Amino acid sequence: MSWIFGTPEKKETPQASSNKLGFDTNQISDISSILNSNTLDPTKLHPLAGLDKDIEYLDLDEEKLTSLEGADNGLLPSRGWTDDLCYGAGTVYVLGLGLGGLRGFNEGLKNLPQGRVDPVTNQVRPVPFKLKLNTVLNQITKFGPHMGNNAGVLAIMYNLIDASLDNFRNKHDDLNSLAAGFLSGALFRSSRGLKPMGYSAGAMTLVAAAWCGFKRVIN
Amino acid sequence: MSTPEADHSRDPCPIVILSDFGGAFSMGVIGGCVWHGIKGFRNSPYGERRIGAISAIKARAPVVGGNFGVWGGLFSFYDCSIKAVRKREDAWNAILAGFCVGGSLAIRGGPRHTFNSAVTCACVLAVFEGVGMMFQRYMAWANKPVAMPLPEQAAPAPLGA
Repeated sequence: MSWIFGTPEKKETPQASSNKLGFDTNQISDISSILNSNTLDPTKLHPLAGLDKDIEYLDLDEEKLTSLEGADNGLLPSRGWTDDLCYGAGTVYVLGLGLGGLRGFNEGLKNLPQGRVDPVTNQVRPVPFKLKLNTVLNQITKFGPHMGNNAGVLAIMYNLIDASLDNFRNKHDDLNSLAAGFLSGALFRSSRGLKPMGYSAGAMTLVAAAWCGFKRVIN
Repeated sequence: MSTPEADHSRDPCPIVILSDFGGAFSMGVIGGCVWHGIKGFRNSPYGERRIGAISAIKARAPVVGGNFGVWGGLFSFYDCSIKAVRKREDAWNAILAGFCVGGSLAIRGGPRHTFNSAVTCACVLAVFEGVGMMFQRYMAWANKPVAMPLPEQAAPAPLGA
């Protein structure tokens, strides 16, 4: 997502030239001493040439991984808060969409249209399949996006607040997660009065605690 | 047009779908906050403008985010699938993915509507890709390699000499 938020600031780490080139620049007297030395390794000449790699996969060195203390979640490498935001919101949104869709599927099956009794022949007219399918799909599209949107918005707020706290304190720990959960839960229901705010803040704190615990178990 | 190297600013394929879902959803929610905040503010009577903006944001911004998110995520999903099948990366991937997204999102409107949406979406994506390619050509032309300067020639004789 670097094209939206801009690439994170790259910090060059000064490397010893001997490390990079295979010889020490301080001990050079002329060209022939470089060319005749056995230490010269062409694969070390330029990292962009990629001569030392046989397969090109995800080269995260190009955009440095986050150097924030404790920011590694053990699941995915992260290049900073934008990665956390995108993956966090995306995962939670898709999960919410799926769970809500399942609930809608269930509701749709419960509320299937019943066949009417024909007043003339006194037999039950079967409901066409298309009508049943429509009912189920309507319920899925009613519950799925609703739950997905709410969960996704919560995840965005959590990640934004968490990233702000991380930047403010210069480290990431469980306390930041819990605080971010509390604040995002409170903000989510902030227009409904104090009591719903408290419930939502408590629930989000619990969710944040569960996420911290899950990370501990994974690592 | 094939790209010789992978694009390192994006993650590898199956996992990038989640990132695109989240990125598009966040973009939609944040943009929706601004858009519907202003709209709700302007459409409310005096004295209720702030609360009007807040309720408009609450009601509509997540929906905008959801629409964006589903579009972006589905596009990424189809893009990855098409890449996996075709084993190449070119502009047709995006166009085909756009066709599939347009069709999928309109699938409940009947075959005619589905097809029309799919073609519209594919055309939009084709325009995007075309503009992108033109831009790329232009940038490449602006940075074209410059010929080495000719070796030093005899300086032209000064006028009147």
